[in-house]
Amino acid sequence: MIPLVFLLLAQNFEQRGFIESDSVFYPQTAPNDSGHAVDDLLFRWEASYKVAPWLKISGAFDADVDTHEQVERSWALDVDGRSIRRPALSLRRMSATLHKGHVTAELGRQFIRWGKADILNPTDRFAPKDYLSNVIEPDFLGVIAARVTIEAGNNSVDLVWQPWFTPSRTPLLDQRWTVIPPQADGVAIDDLGARYPGRSQFGARWNHIGSGYEYSFCVFDGYNNLPLFSAVFDPQTNTLGLQRYYPELRSYGADAAVPLPWFTVKGEAAYFSSSTPDTDQYGLYVVQIERQVKEWSFVGGYAGEVLTRAGNPLEFAPDRGFARSFVGRAAWTIDARRSLAMNAAVRAGGSFTRFEYSQTYGQHWRATANLAWIRGDMTDFLGEYHRNSYASLGVRYSF
Amino acid sequence: MHADKTLAWICGYILIASPLFAQDPRTIIAETQKRSYSSSQRYEGTLEVIGAENRVATKRWVFERIGSFGDSKAILRFTAPPEVKGVALLIVNHPDKSSDQWMWRPEIGRDQRIALQDRSTRFFGTDFSFEDLEERDVNQFDYKLAGEENGQWKIESRPRKSSQYGYLLMWVKKDNYTVTKVEAYNKKGLARVIEYRDFELNHNIWTARTTEVLDVARKSRTILKFDKLEYDLPLKPDQFTVEALRRES
Repeated sequence: MIPLVFLLLAQNFEQRGFIESDSVFYPQTAPNDSGHAVDDLLFRWEASYKVAPWLKISGAFDADVDTHEQVERSWALDVDGRSIRRPALSLRRMSATLHKGHVTAELGRQFIRWGKADILNPTDRFAPKDYLSNVIEPDFLGVIAARVTIEAGNNSVDLVWQPWFTPSRTPLLDQRWTVIPPQADGVAIDDLGARYPGRSQFGARWNHIGSGYEYSFCVFDGYNNLPLFSAVFDPQTNTLGLQRYYPELRSYGADAAVPLPWFTVKGEAAYFSSSTPDTDQYGLYVVQIERQVKEWSFVGGYAGEVLTRAGNPLEFAPDRGFARSFVGRAAWTIDARRSLAMNAAVRAGGSFTRFEYSQTYGQHWRATANLAWIRGDMTDFLGEYHRNSYASLGVRYSF
Repeated sequence: MHADKTLAWICGYILIASPLFAQDPRTIIAETQKRSYSSSQRYEGTLEVIGAENRVATKRWVFERIGSFGDSKAILRFTAPPEVKGVALLIVNHPDKSSDQWMWRPEIGRDQRIALQDRSTRFFGTDFSFEDLEERDVNQFDYKLAGEENGQWKIESRPRKSSQYGYLLMWVKKDNYTVTKVEAYNKKGLARVIEYRDFELNHNIWTARTTEVLDVARKSRTILKFDKLEYDLPLKPDQFTVEALRRES
C-alpha cells in the first residue's frame, strides 16, 4: 500500500528549478562603484502539489549569494519582498489555487501579470520588479494578494485585492545602477530606507479573446511600486539622506493584440493619476509589431509618454525611462540547442544594445553570453548608465 | 428465396468491399478521418531531435485534445528537458481558418499570443512546424488520386487555405485506412517527409506510436513516440482556455 500511496502523491507533485551562476564584467568603473566584476549564484526551486482536482498549492524558494553585497548576509527567510537588499533566502511564491467551474481563485504570494505588449507593460500594476543588479533586465517579484478570475465564454474578469504592499527593489545608492548627479560630488549619501503605504490595493481587468484579436480594459487603485525619494541635507556632516516613498496611484488602461496577414500588432496604454502631492500625472503607451519568419522572430515598436502634470523629479521610474524609445528585438533559433538574439532601445539622448548567445549542453546545462553596450549623455535615462556597458556569462543547471 | 439470397450476397459484398471501390480520394480521406475520430485524446510524447551532425536533443510533452478535426482545442505541456519544463502551448483550431495559438512561458509568467504569419516556423527547435501541429478538416483540402503502391492509395492533397506547403502526397493503407507517410512539398520541392510507424489498435483506432519527421533542407529528423495514449477521456472545455494555461502552470 505504501508504495501505491507514494506513487499517487508523486503523480500530483511537480517541481522544477535551477542553479545559476551569473558573472558580469564592467570595463568601466562608476563614481560610486569601483567594482569591475559581480558574481551572483542563485538557487531557485518551484514546486506544486495538486491536493484535489480543485485545489493546487504552489511554492517557490530562492537562495542567493553574491560578491557585491547586493544580497543580504543574514539567513532570515524573507516572505514579503520589502528588503532593500535582495534577501539570501526568500519565499518567492506560496499560494493556493482553487478552481471550480468558471471561477479560479489564487490566494497568497503569487505572480500577477497583465498586459499584452513585450516592450513595456503600462497596465502591469501588480508586478513589482527587482532592479537591484540591473535596471534594464529586472526579475519579477511576487505579491501577497487574492486574485479571482471569472471566465464566461471568450470573456474573463480578473479581480485583485493586494492587502500588503510589495515595492520594486531599487538599485543600492552606493552602487553603479544608481547614478549620482555630478552636482552631488563630494556629498555623502545616506540610505534612510523606505516608508511603505498602509492601505490595500485593488485592480480589475476585463479581457476578451476573439477569433483573430483580443483586448482588455483595466483599472487599478493603489500605489506605485516604484519610489519617489525625499531628500534631507545635513550641511554639518555634508550628508544627503534619501528615503523612498510610494505615491498613491490610480490608473486606467487597455491593451490589444491583432494578428494581421503580415505581422501582429500589439498595443497597450495606461493613464496614471495620483492624489499624492508633487507626483507626476502621465500616460504611457506602447505600439509594437512582431513577425516570425522561419527561425527568425522580430519585434519592433515605440514606447511613448504624455506628461500632464510634473512633480517630484527625485524618482526611480525605469518604466517611464524606457518611454520615448524605439525598441527592437531580433532572435534567431539556430537549432535545437543554440540561439542568438539582439535587443536595442534607442532614445533621443541614449541607447542600449545587447547581443545574446545561448547554447545548451545535454539535458541540464545552458550557457548564455551577453554583450551590452550603453551609450548616451547624463540627461537621458539610458545615457546616464553609459559607464555600465557590460559582458556577462551565465551558466545554468536546470533540474 | 434464391433471388433474396443473391440480393443479400450482393448487398453484403458491397458493404464489405465498398472501401475497395472508394476510389474518390476525398471519400478515402473522409473515411480515414472518420475511423480516427475520438472526442478527446491524451498522450505523453517523447521527441528526439537528431540534427545533421547526429546530435540528439530529447524533449518530452503531455498532449491533451478535446474535439476533433478542425474544431478542436489542444494543450501541449513540456515536461522535459528541465529548462523547458512548464512551457505550454494552447492551440485552438478552427474549421474555416488557421488556428489561434497562445504560449505560456513560466519565466515570464504570462500567456503570449503567438504571431504566426509564417507557420513554417519550427516548433521549439523540433522539425515540426507550427502548421504541422494544427489539425485540419478534410474539407480544407482538394484531393487527387495519384496512384497506388503496395496496397496503399497515394493521394495528392492541396490546401485551400494559406499554407507553407503547395501540396502533400499521402499514402493511405487500403485495409485499415491509416496514413503511413506524408511528403510535403513547397515551392522549392520536397520540404518534409513524415512517416507513421508502429501502429496499434487503441480504443478501436489504429494509431501510429511513432512519427518521424525529416526536414529535407536541414537534414534534421525528429522522432515522436506516443506513450500512455488514451482516447475519449472525460476532459472538460475549461481545461483548454488561456486561463487554464496559467492555472495549471
